[in-house]
Amino acid sequence: MEAAASASDMFDAIVMAEERFHGEGYQEGYAEGSHVGVIEGRRYGALHGAKIGSEIGYYLGFALTWQRLLHRSAKEKPSKKTKALESLIGMIQKYPYEDPTYDKLHEDLEKIRGKFKQVCSLLNIQSDFRLNPERSALTF
Amino acid sequence: MLRRKNFSDSHTFTTCTGILVVTTTMSWVQAAVSRPSEDVFDEDADELHLVQKEWKSTMEKRVKEGYRDGVEAGKELSLQQGFNRGYKQGAEMMMTCGQLKGTLSALLAWCHLNGQISALLSKISNLLAEVGKYEECVLKYMNSISPQPHLGELLDSVQDMDLSHTIPVENEFDETEAGRHCENESELSENSCRSNGGADSLHSDSCRRTKEHTHSERPTLAWLKEETFYLGEQLGLSLDILQHVQQLES
Repeated sequence: MEAAASASDMFDAIVMAEERFHGEGYQEGYAEGSHVGVIEGRRYGALHGAKIGSEIGYYLGFALTWQRLLHRSAKEKPSKKTKALESLIGMIQKYPYEDPTYDKLHEDLEKIRGKFKQVCSLLNIQSDFRLNPERSALTF
Repeated sequence: MLRRKNFSDSHTFTTCTGILVVTTTMSWVQAAVSRPSEDVFDEDADELHLVQKEWKSTMEKRVKEGYRDGVEAGKELSLQQGFNRGYKQGAEMMMTCGQLKGTLSALLAWCHLNGQISALLSKISNLLAEVGKYEECVLKYMNSISPQPHLGELLDSVQDMDLSHTIPVENEFDETEAGRHCENESELSENSCRSNGGADSLHSDSCRRTKEHTHSERPTLAWLKEETFYLGEQLGLSLDILQHVQQLES
């Protein structure tokens, strides 16, 4: 009787051992996976963020400069141009470009792109005309 | 396989196998089986050895399986976290570059439309190229962060990174130090230039050339901002037009 009980204990121990070894491997793997995941994710995220940040920054710098240039030269009432610029600046400033969890990140970006094109055509500038001599590392 | 074998064989065998395995590979069950073992080892020695090997490889397999499952689970959870964090940092860093590019592009377009002299146009284009270089440096830096250091160190290094200074390139600590030193020197010489009287435009222009030369390899944000203002001045624009450039921070 005693022998049988001991045998079943042993059997349990063996079955448990499999789980235990699996668990030990799992813990080690989990730590490693978390570490690698953060690094991989970070790198990937940084590139995506860089693209959007650069694009949005470009539109903002462009719009702010034009707004002041027009303000400087125009003595008359706000024109269509300045209104469009104002609207573009407002859209950009409301846009949470740095938040990847924002659910309309791409939807809003498309709207901003559209507004930028509109502004460019009002200013008589071709929006796809790349003003920089070398193409950027980040294309948008 | 091992399990099935244990089922079909006698209790004695199972127990003995258990004891043998426990004493050789798992000290932690030893306490549970303190019963003295009978003298059956010799008869089953060969088979025991085989079973022992089988057990060992099965357990190794379990560890490997566990490891694989663990890596997958750990990665799945942390990838998104890492992505979100990296995204925010990348977006914020590049926003500054983008604004500078946008500003210069606006000036370039404005000059085009107003029929400015081509010398100024090429100056703006050159400066835009410099901003492009700077942008590439920042991108390279973001990509080059080595996977070796731990998360805390990584975050620290990103926080410590002051983009208004020379961008550190990995494994080039000495050079970075040298670059910073160089920058300080050029700032010093520039200050002395200014104190000598800003009206001496020729002098300050030559000073600028030296400064430009110093920065030709690796432009800094501070230098790019300064050059943009200088350009604005040459275009006869008042400072408030480029006010938003002044506020650009790394």
